[in-house]
Amino acid sequence: MSEFDAIVVGGGPAGTSAAMRLAASKLNVLLVEKADPPGSKNVSGGVLWGNSLAGVMPDWEKTAPLERYVKSKGIGFLTKDSSIDISFRSTRFNETKTGYTVLRTKLDQFLNKKAKDAGATVVTGVTVDRLAFEGKKVIGVEQDGDVITSDAVILAEGANPRVAIDSGIRSPLKDEDVAIGVKEVIKLPEKTINDRFNLREKEGFAGEYVLGFLDGGVEAGGFLYTNKDSISLGVVISMKHLRENNKTYSYDIVEQFKNHPSIAPLLEDGKVDEYSAHMVQEGGLASIPKLYGNGYMIAGDAAGFSFSNGLILQGMNYAIASGIAAADTIVEAKTGSGISEQSFSKYEEKLMNSFVLKDMHTFKGIGDITWGNLIHQQMPGILEKVMLGLFMEDGEPKRHMNQIVKEALKSSGLKSSKLLLEGYRMYRRM
Amino acid sequence: MSNMKIEDRLSLLNYKIDKSYAHITVKPEICEVCPDHFCTFACPAKCYTLIDKKLNFKYEDCVECGTCVVACSHDSVSWNNSKGAHGVKYKYG
Repeated sequence: MSEFDAIVVGGGPAGTSAAMRLAASKLNVLLVEKADPPGSKNVSGGVLWGNSLAGVMPDWEKTAPLERYVKSKGIGFLTKDSSIDISFRSTRFNETKTGYTVLRTKLDQFLNKKAKDAGATVVTGVTVDRLAFEGKKVIGVEQDGDVITSDAVILAEGANPRVAIDSGIRSPLKDEDVAIGVKEVIKLPEKTINDRFNLREKEGFAGEYVLGFLDGGVEAGGFLYTNKDSISLGVVISMKHLRENNKTYSYDIVEQFKNHPSIAPLLEDGKVDEYSAHMVQEGGLASIPKLYGNGYMIAGDAAGFSFSNGLILQGMNYAIASGIAAADTIVEAKTGSGISEQSFSKYEEKLMNSFVLKDMHTFKGIGDITWGNLIHQQMPGILEKVMLGLFMEDGEPKRHMNQIVKEALKSSGLKSSKLLLEGYRMYRRM
Repeated sequence: MSNMKIEDRLSLLNYKIDKSYAHITVKPEICEVCPDHFCTFACPAKCYTLIDKKLNFKYEDCVECGTCVVACSHDSVSWNNSKGAHGVKYKYG
């Protein structure tokens, strides 16, 4: 007989949600987290989108350590001199909260405590080395030469899935699977943030940016989120494009973003309080591994569950929903036909019926667009030319908009056939 | 805001350094003949630097992001999770 009904590796949103759910069904669950305190090695942008946490904590919006709710959403194209922004703010977000800015060290500590309160055994500061096998069946985890036995294991170890890779159930990550996330937390008084972003108490701003001005044509997206009394600002850099460039330092790109003429005033007099970095799962459907086997399942970032279409950047909601689905699969197997590869195939079925895998399928191939030349290299420049054509008063006779657009496209060097094809792809996939 | 040097940004971080175990190791014989040294550009914590054209690696500043093992296309980097709650400790994350 195993020591535990289930072991969950990783105390982030996926792992803690799974542990809460398993404990709620009175299963004997061990949650193992390598950091101590939990969350202290985790990095996220981060906005927690959606309402997935309600699955394990109906009152999470009242109890969890949330910074601000997203009242205002921004998209920006930045060129060297200009920014072309779309800003959307709505009182509809007051009633139905769509997202909350969070700081992971605080949030994950809270989630680990909730898992413990629910009845899970939570150990922190302990690193799992690999899965323990008996033939092809997973019988627990190996830790420092010992085997801790368990009927089932959920791997929720995050964006750098060492345990899965070292156990031979996931192939090593490649350039197209990941991006490099680099972030700074910048302290500013709450009132200053409210004034600069036109926010009231508890209201927040979440902005994503195409950085079309970076040295050497590196492709990266920027993000800027308001916390209560700090700003989370960072960049997500394409590994593939940074490699092709091979002369720009990843840690310099976030500074270029910070110093952009449209961003710098928002940060003025702020003090950088923390620098952080983490790989980001970016591969979409193509980088999702086999999600289950006899005795194990993979959840959250470790399974490549994240979503980005250039307008939004999400991961934690996918993590939570997949953690819950994995836990439910174990509970059902235990009370039903028993644990087997067959019974764990229900996990994939559940995900196929939820937004987790539905989104991955709907947005298959989106990476070609979001990391494409059109968005990063041409679009910001074209938009800038159009805006200057419309708004820069230079005493010359005014022109029709179609003329301005035509000239902007022409000067971008983009062939109209290519624009048509790329535009159509973007329209379809986004 | 003025540009902040990476060294100054890293100095804001708390670490519990593991003196007896390097969670990342590199193979010097591979790095010596490496044609690109992409690790020096990719690593956000400047753990990989070139000193007199020779690759120098130090794990102490590592923020455990996982970038280098993907960045190195020459199989020089072995990446393991840190042990015993050693390594970087973020206050915000």
